[in-house]
Amino acid sequence: MLVDDEEGIRKVLGISLTDLGYQVLTAENGEEALEIFRRENPPIVLTDIKMPVMDGIELLRKIKDESSDTEVIMITGHGDMDLAIKSLKYRAIDFVTKPINDDILEIALGRAHEKIHMRQKLRGYTENLESLVQEKSAQLVEIERQVAVGQAVEGLASMLRNLAGDLEGGLTYFNEMPCFVSIHNPKLKVIAVNQLYRDRLGDKVGRNSWEVYGDKAGTRSQCPVAETFKTGKGQRTRASIKYADDQEAPVIIHTAPIRNQSKEVELVVEISADITEVNRLQEELRQTQQRYQQLFDEVPCYVSLQDRQYRLLATNRRFNDDFDVELGAYCYEVYKHRDEPCPNCPVAKTFEDGRSHQSEMVVTPKSGEQCNVLIWTAPIRDADGEITRVMEMSTDITQIRELQDHLSSLGLKISSISHGIKSLLTGIDGGVYLVESGLTKDDPDRVKEGWDAVKTIVQRIRKLVLNILFFAKEREFKPEATDVLNFAYDVAASVESKINAAGVGLDRDFDTGQGEVQMDSGVVRLALINILENALDACLEDTAKKSHRIVFSVKRDKNKIVFEVKDNGIGMDRETRESLFTLFFSSKGNKGTGLGLFIANKIVAQHGGKIKVDSKPKRGSSFMITIPMKLTG
Amino acid sequence: MPKKILIIDDDPVIVKYLMAIFSDNGYATCSAGSSMEGLDLVKKEKPDLICLDIQMPGEWGPRFYRKLRKDKEVKDIPIIVVSGIDGDHAVKNAVAFVKKPFDPEKLIGIVKNTIG
Repeated sequence: MLVDDEEGIRKVLGISLTDLGYQVLTAENGEEALEIFRRENPPIVLTDIKMPVMDGIELLRKIKDESSDTEVIMITGHGDMDLAIKSLKYRAIDFVTKPINDDILEIALGRAHEKIHMRQKLRGYTENLESLVQEKSAQLVEIERQVAVGQAVEGLASMLRNLAGDLEGGLTYFNEMPCFVSIHNPKLKVIAVNQLYRDRLGDKVGRNSWEVYGDKAGTRSQCPVAETFKTGKGQRTRASIKYADDQEAPVIIHTAPIRNQSKEVELVVEISADITEVNRLQEELRQTQQRYQQLFDEVPCYVSLQDRQYRLLATNRRFNDDFDVELGAYCYEVYKHRDEPCPNCPVAKTFEDGRSHQSEMVVTPKSGEQCNVLIWTAPIRDADGEITRVMEMSTDITQIRELQDHLSSLGLKISSISHGIKSLLTGIDGGVYLVESGLTKDDPDRVKEGWDAVKTIVQRIRKLVLNILFFAKEREFKPEATDVLNFAYDVAASVESKINAAGVGLDRDFDTGQGEVQMDSGVVRLALINILENALDACLEDTAKKSHRIVFSVKRDKNKIVFEVKDNGIGMDRETRESLFTLFFSSKGNKGTGLGLFIANKIVAQHGGKIKVDSKPKRGSSFMITIPMKLTG
Repeated sequence: MPKKILIIDDDPVIVKYLMAIFSDNGYATCSAGSSMEGLDLVKKEKPDLICLDIQMPGEWGPRFYRKLRKDKEVKDIPIIVVSGIDGDHAVKNAVAFVKKPFDPEKLIGIVKNTIG
């Protein structure tokens, strides 16, 4: 609005302002101007100060009072500086002096415009502040929520991993398993994903829920997330997934709804697992299991799994091969044919204290040949750490034991034989001495005495050497059909002369008609002769009785042949009886080799037979040798 | 009167041998086939020296020795161990240990040094 009392100025200035792009209103005094102002509300007012009716200062004050936003530029004549300053006091934006220079006017107008714009902006800011705060805080809440959801997703994933880790007993398959976890909002947008998702599928936050899938799952309406929002139920489906590198892989998709307090489905969790990877892991697991099974079966041990009642819950193939195993049967039944648990059972100890235990036992497999086993146990715990099973591994150490026996007996043999040989040498020395000194002294009795000594020693040397040879040599076991009666007569004949020469009687008590028996007659004869000679020695030792007899009998007991050698000699105490068959045990001092009965026992055992000994000190002894008619095994 | 030697050994051949050696060197002898028998003989015969084997059926030499040492009358009789096993420590205070097979000259030398 242009206000001036001079019409010429109103006209000229009006044209200038119109040229500058303004719409111009004019008034010739303050009163008129105020009227137009109130009606039109122009943003900028250009007014002369000196006017009739109402001057410019008065107009300025009134306008500023009514609308402080309106900017007023004052027009002054020369020397009106006081008025100009006064007008600035009343908040005029600027003043221009007459005659009006267009440039200065433009600057003044520009200043007014700027002020108006700034004020508008300021007001805009002020007015918008509230909504801005609302908007920004909503954004913040959303970000916070996303962060929280993202954390929840990662937490869930790691929890699943840990869970799987716990379940698999430390196997870390789940860690390797590509499981893509994402969270979706009802607009079917991804709002959070786990790290693996981001790595393999790209950061899809803010993208559509179905984007990563192909087929049906890759459509807006039928993707699992949409289904979950629709039905409110978790989904499980298969689809193919597109990796960031454009490869496709089959996945299994699981979804689950997350509900808010009013039970509405607010978010959906989606977990996709790459099946190729799962398949690979399954295959790997299967192979591992197979390897374990193979190991379980092929390991050169008897492996079994037992419960607290010592029932066999699982056994490996070797166990099944060598024992009559029925799952659920009792360990002690299968292993040892016992009716009750063994004392010192290592399995029982392991159940008790949870540690591994070792033990050595003799068990009887199907073959009937007893074997020594070294047993080792280990506890197997359930998820609560309770021992529910014990694994038992038994290693057949029969051969080791035999070897050990052989080695230790070899050592024993060497020391024992060296002792025996020393005695024999001394004996020969003695015989030679007697013969020599007898010859020198021309004492035939002494010569004979010496010669007898030499002969005795030679006998003993022969026996020792033969026994050693038998023991040392791996003799092949050659059973053949042997007529029992003939055999018995034969044995008796070969010892009779020696027995009779010693003044002891030998009675034969042979049942006729035993028929034939499968045996290695050569070695059995050796065993029987050994026992018969022992009987003779027992008779000679005994000085209490006047006459001594040895009874050699043969009987048939069902499908077995029983040889018995009975004497009324010196007899044995219990300790002697029990250590009879031990290698190098001898009750005869230097005269025995300690090999005879050890060998006899071995021979009989080889035939699947037994030697039973009955004896009382001073009364005599009886040896019952039982041999099956037909060899088994 | 010749000095008397008691021979304790379970092997009759060796007993015969030792008896021959000792009697050829002017000693009187007696013998036992076990340590029990030997213990009886020690008391009866009061030998000047005992020739003892270690390994015998029944009681071994060392046990005989311990029993001997408990009897005041006979505990100081010198003992020579003649054995096939290394039993140096089995009989304390033995005059000598002679290992089988032995050199008769050496044995006689020890006997002479001990009882003259």
